[in-house]
Amino acid sequence: MSVRPHGGGNNTTAGAPVELADVSKSFGGVQVLKPLRLALVPGEMLALLGPSGCGKTTTLRLIAGFEAPDTGSIRVAGRDVTGLPPNKRGLGMVFQNYSLFPHMTVGENVAFGLRMRRTGRAEKARRVREMLATVRLDGYEDRLIHQLSGGQQQRIALARALATSPSVLLLDEPLGALDKNLRERMQFELRDIQRRLGITSILVTHDQEEALTMSDRVAVMAHGEVLQVGRPTEVYDRPLTRFVSEFLGTANIFAAVVTGANGPNRWSVALDAQPHAAGTVESPAALAPGQRVTLAVRPERLSLGPPTDGTVRATVRDVVFRGTYFAYELTASGQPQPVFAYTQLRQPVAADAAVGLSWEPGGAVILQDTA
Amino acid sequence: MRRVRPYRLARPSWCVPVIAYLLVFFVIPLIANLLRSRPVDAAIGGGPFFYYVKLLTDPYYAGVLLETTKVALITTFVCLLVGYPVAYFMVRFAGRWNALIVFCVVAPLLTSIIMRTFGWRVLLARRGVLNAWLLDWGLITRPFELADQPIAVYIGLVHVLVPFMVLSINAVLQGIDVQLEDSARVLGAGRLRTFWHVTLPLSVDGIATGCILVFVLTNGSFLTMLLLGGGRITTLSLLIYQQFSTTQDVGFAAAMGNVLMLVALLGFLLQFRLLRRRGVKP
Ligand SMILES: Nc1ncnc2c1ncn2[C@@H]1O[C@H](COP(=O)(O)OP(=O)(O)O)[C@@H](O)[C@H]1O
Ligand SMILES: [Mg+2]
Repeated sequence: MSVRPHGGGNNTTAGAPVELADVSKSFGGVQVLKPLRLALVPGEMLALLGPSGCGKTTTLRLIAGFEAPDTGSIRVAGRDVTGLPPNKRGLGMVFQNYSLFPHMTVGENVAFGLRMRRTGRAEKARRVREMLATVRLDGYEDRLIHQLSGGQQQRIALARALATSPSVLLLDEPLGALDKNLRERMQFELRDIQRRLGITSILVTHDQEEALTMSDRVAVMAHGEVLQVGRPTEVYDRPLTRFVSEFLGTANIFAAVVTGANGPNRWSVALDAQPHAAGTVESPAALAPGQRVTLAVRPERLSLGPPTDGTVRATVRDVVFRGTYFAYELTASGQPQPVFAYTQLRQPVAADAAVGLSWEPGGAVILQDTA
Repeated sequence: MRRVRPYRLARPSWCVPVIAYLLVFFVIPLIANLLRSRPVDAAIGGGPFFYYVKLLTDPYYAGVLLETTKVALITTFVCLLVGYPVAYFMVRFAGRWNALIVFCVVAPLLTSIIMRTFGWRVLLARRGVLNAWLLDWGLITRPFELADQPIAVYIGLVHVLVPFMVLSINAVLQGIDVQLEDSARVLGAGRLRTFWHVTLPLSVDGIATGCILVFVLTNGSFLTMLLLGGGRITTLSLLIYQQFSTTQDVGFAAAMGNVLMLVALLGFLLQFRLLRRRGVKP
């Protein structure tokens, strides 16, 4: 089916679909958003990922027009909307708890935006049918909201937001209220609809898996700041800071010192905890021998082997089968925090066995902050 | 075998004192009143409904009935107009001032009706505070008589009844998720249309409850009419008071009381049905 956004989405205008320029916001003297710069690429799904309370919803509400920024400006489709009320911004929004109108039928809910635009009766009915087909709820026009399941309500909320062909779709933890299985199904469905319509979207979530699987780009937020923006693999494999590294998944953090160059963009490092253990890291920036660095190594990048020279000596504390992999909890001497390693196959090691840990050169990244 | 009864905090038997109390002091008097409304003197003729027929057909009494309805409707309408914005403000904007506003709204109910009513007389009288101010500011050249006028009755009634409206609407508005209004805004509705299409329809229950309460309570008030109306507004309840205190026509007063009772019952029946209709919702 080919449903393209029309009307509101003016793609000929120059400029990003959404652009925040130095937007900041305080509530009662507390700065909730530090001056924020963010520009969306047409047609992309950008995930705004961060822990609860970091300012994701506030960012979305600023874009939607429910809050006015203290500083900076907001542009939608090249137009400055900073002073416009929400109803003049031509956006679509899906709230976490769906927020469907309980006194209206499914059809009336989906038609609400069109009714506000005084769309003709026939066009309205056609569009409602089209949107219900898009979310695979054909023929649900006359149902009442409370007769729908959570997943169905979610889809109706999506259909309602899309019915007016908004230029940008804002999703505030849209799947947060669904149970795990349904959430995973809806992730694919939502992503599929977004791609099919080619609608630029911002997805707010605190679930790193959801952000990584659903989006074209991830913006990691903390304490009212965007720390890093990039493709999911980029932020996962090349986190800039310890926070990003740890928020996107488990990470083993090692303090180390650079011992020398080791090929193009490669450097040898010695761990503080075990100076005899050598490793290689990739870094696009030049490093000086003797420089102190902080390394992050993902558990799946660590391999377990015999405790040979140059490996990180560790003792197995626990093994947990996690369905698709085995998670090893280890202690490395000199390292206060436990070390985690994930392997596809069970390793022939017993509890309390001494092992050696190592990683491929691309497996470790240098973080910008100190340990 | 012993049947295991589910544990319940309250037992049906706990209702007995209340039911007994209501029976003795409420149901029995009502039945007595019903009987009393029949003419005692069979010589009058006209059967058991003589007083009711008189109430509905005699031009004077029919006029009073009409005026009662008019006063109740106007009071209800003014209470709604005054009360809705107050309730809306309380729920959406007052925040921590909410408690203070609730106190201010409820305050008239805590004052004795005599004090409250005479307070209004002091404010509204020809030589009262209001007239003094208006004269001082040069807005009027001659003092108005505001007490002993219908307007004084309406002011007094709205003053004491508006809390019922505010609290009824307030309760329902509190249950309306602000995000529903936000959703309407993003979908292109301005403030006014958001109110009209979302907030208002969702608060209909509170409006209905408040209106029925105020309507029934207005029908039952007579002190405000007596003390502020200066004889210019005669409603059924005032008439009952007069029948009892001056003409002592107990039978007729009982009949009028029963009519008022019927109106009140109809009001609560209506409200009951509204609640039941809503009850379909989970
Ligand atoms: N209207 C408001 N008034 C005061 N504080 C607010 C308001 N909205 C949000 N905050 C505060 O701003 C911070 C960020 O909130 P929010 O944007 O909702 O976070 P997130 O969506 O990332 O969980 C929180 O500390 C929250 O308490
Ligand atoms: Mg939030």
